[in-house]
Amino acid sequence: MSRLAPEGAAVASVAESGVIPASRRRRFSRRRLGQATAPYVLLTPAAAVIGVVLAYPLYLLVKMSFQKYGLFELIRHQGRWVGTANYASIFHDSEFWRVVLRTLVFTTVCVSLTMVLGTAIALLLLQVSRWVRIALTTGLVLVWAVPVIVAVNIWRFMVDYQFGVANWTLSKLHIGNFVRHDWFANPWSGFAVFTGLIVWGAIPFITITVYAALAQVPRELLEAAAIDGARPWAIFREVTLPLLKPIFVILTSLSIIWDFQVFQQIWVMLDSRPSSDYYTMAIYAFHQSFQISEYGLGAAIAVVMVIFMFAATLFYLRQMLRTGEVH
Amino acid sequence: MKVRYLAAGLLVAMLAVAAGTASGGTSSRHATKLVVWLQNDAQNGWPEAVALANRTFKAQHPDVDVDVQYQTWGSHLTKLDAGLAGGDAPDVVEMGNTEMTKYMAAGAFKPLAQSAFPNNKTWLQGLKGSCQYNGKLYGVPYYAGARAVIYRTDQYKAAGIKSTPKSLAQWMVDNGKLMKKYGKKDSGYSAVYFPGKYWYFAMSFVYDYGASIAVQKGGKWKGSLNSPRALAALNQVKRMFKFSRASKTGDEANPQQALVFAKGKVGSFVGNGWEWPYALDDKLGNPSLATSMNAYPMPSHTPGKYMPTFLGGSDLAVPVTTKNQSLAADWIKAFTGTPAETEIARTGNIANTTKLLALNASNPKLAPFARAAKFSWFVPTSPNWVNVENANVLQNMLVKIASGRASVKAAATSASNQITRILNTGA
Repeated sequence: MSRLAPEGAAVASVAESGVIPASRRRRFSRRRLGQATAPYVLLTPAAAVIGVVLAYPLYLLVKMSFQKYGLFELIRHQGRWVGTANYASIFHDSEFWRVVLRTLVFTTVCVSLTMVLGTAIALLLLQVSRWVRIALTTGLVLVWAVPVIVAVNIWRFMVDYQFGVANWTLSKLHIGNFVRHDWFANPWSGFAVFTGLIVWGAIPFITITVYAALAQVPRELLEAAAIDGARPWAIFREVTLPLLKPIFVILTSLSIIWDFQVFQQIWVMLDSRPSSDYYTMAIYAFHQSFQISEYGLGAAIAVVMVIFMFAATLFYLRQMLRTGEVH
Repeated sequence: MKVRYLAAGLLVAMLAVAAGTASGGTSSRHATKLVVWLQNDAQNGWPEAVALANRTFKAQHPDVDVDVQYQTWGSHLTKLDAGLAGGDAPDVVEMGNTEMTKYMAAGAFKPLAQSAFPNNKTWLQGLKGSCQYNGKLYGVPYYAGARAVIYRTDQYKAAGIKSTPKSLAQWMVDNGKLMKKYGKKDSGYSAVYFPGKYWYFAMSFVYDYGASIAVQKGGKWKGSLNSPRALAALNQVKRMFKFSRASKTGDEANPQQALVFAKGKVGSFVGNGWEWPYALDDKLGNPSLATSMNAYPMPSHTPGKYMPTFLGGSDLAVPVTTKNQSLAADWIKAFTGTPAETEIARTGNIANTTKLLALNASNPKLAPFARAAKFSWFVPTSPNWVNVENANVLQNMLVKIASGRASVKAAATSASNQITRILNTGA
């Protein structure tokens, strides 16, 4: 009996009742220990990867955002602690707020267009014949397969000032005189091009995912609604949409995360020297860090960006958990 | 079950890759390889000079391989910063003369012994100045460039222009003649190819009118592009844009203006000496233009004088992170010695030594640039100057003027305020 003492009173009382022999009892508890720790052991490699590629750089970023970190400090690998001076500096910078507003508007427009058009094409896929569906899906997958840099260069060629296909086509169609039209002279038309590029690249993923989800909507429900006299738009709004809500929430939050941090498209299209009219938060952070060598300021902007995105993600995660509860 | 093994395997592979790249970044280079960063101007303009330097160096150090990596002006400083931070910067780096001060002030380069380098007594004064900080030498002059108007003699003749213009007013009239002759039937023709962000050209007007980008008073900088003289100059810049159908948001290097010129729809452009032969390149340019090209210095608004040209140039420096300091110095000696510099001058540049200036004056293809170089301007000598360049302050101002999105005065005032702020940061 004395052997059992360390295992605690509860176990001891079970043993006293004499139901389980002592040797089996021990094996049982060891197995339970193993079962309890197994998930953590299995999670360790993933946690290590996240720690190396995400948590540590993020820690360095946050640390740097509280330091004066210019070229001088960079060479000596030693920042100088300045408290919240970097944050105070960006919050008092009118340019920063313009950039934030621009980024928010741009993200909203891109995400809305992507979701609406992506869903519309997914609904279209349900209606068309098999061959059209295969052709359309193939086209979408091809768009999806194009790497960002290649896509930007294709678009760049299309909207080129001198030799652009877009200028040539629009002029031939007599839509207006687009000979040597500079799409980037006006930031509105420039951002229209970027919106087109980003929405074009994002639609395939949305369409294919929504289409797959639509295939899971029970046909009986749709038929019942139709028999009850509901019009197609009402069926979509009252039956399909609520069923697909979790998918939409996930797709929207992913799109927000992607579009909020748009960088390469603008950077490559504008020869790595975008004018300040084209600064999004990602570009502004890069500009402060790598072009002005104010790495502390750049880090502070990046931290603000991370907080923005974290807030967006959190909001949608909460929505998602709520949806889960209803089910 | 198999899927789980696969996933575990993938995870291990990912970890291995992550560990591999992490250690790869910090591993020390073999001493037998010397990494040199040059701008792609050398690759396009004077590859022979680079080859010559490599041969000379190889003869001295047969066991050392030279790896010349070509960079672009737009991104080389970003890469250099990353290299300095990671201890992985090149052994020799080419720096624009306007970029030097910031890096010298931050302690990015090793000090060099002037007496060790060829022709150090006759270095171009302007370039040598950009290599010195607090009385120490941190760079070796590489080459300088002066810009002049490179033009089509056949088109000038056909448009009835008898001699090259001797004043800014005459230059404008002549450009008008070219536009009348060629620009009416061809809506892509430019009498002067002048992309919106080409600030080296535009700022020449400012200095010609006796104004400047910024002035220093009592230790403080003040942007001065909104002074009455600068505004008069910028209004002339705005007039000059009318003779150009180049992109209002583009710059002179994307696409390369010499290659646009080679396509035939351009009467003239303001370019460096090396851009003349580059326009005639067999592969990229148009060799048939050889007999119908010439150049003249930009005419000033004061008749008979030249408009000052930007004294552009490059220096070679040795980053503090290098472990091959003496090898780096040897390569610089080979590349800035008389043989290589002669080749650099032959292809249209101004060599780093006054000894070779006669070479330029005697060559008809180089003489206009040598004449232009007599009147030059330089950027404000503040360690923060390069931040003005990198923040695209002047470019943004010019784009606004070229596209008419803001008045000359509004654009210049906003740029001037920005310049004041940047130049006084940390001062």
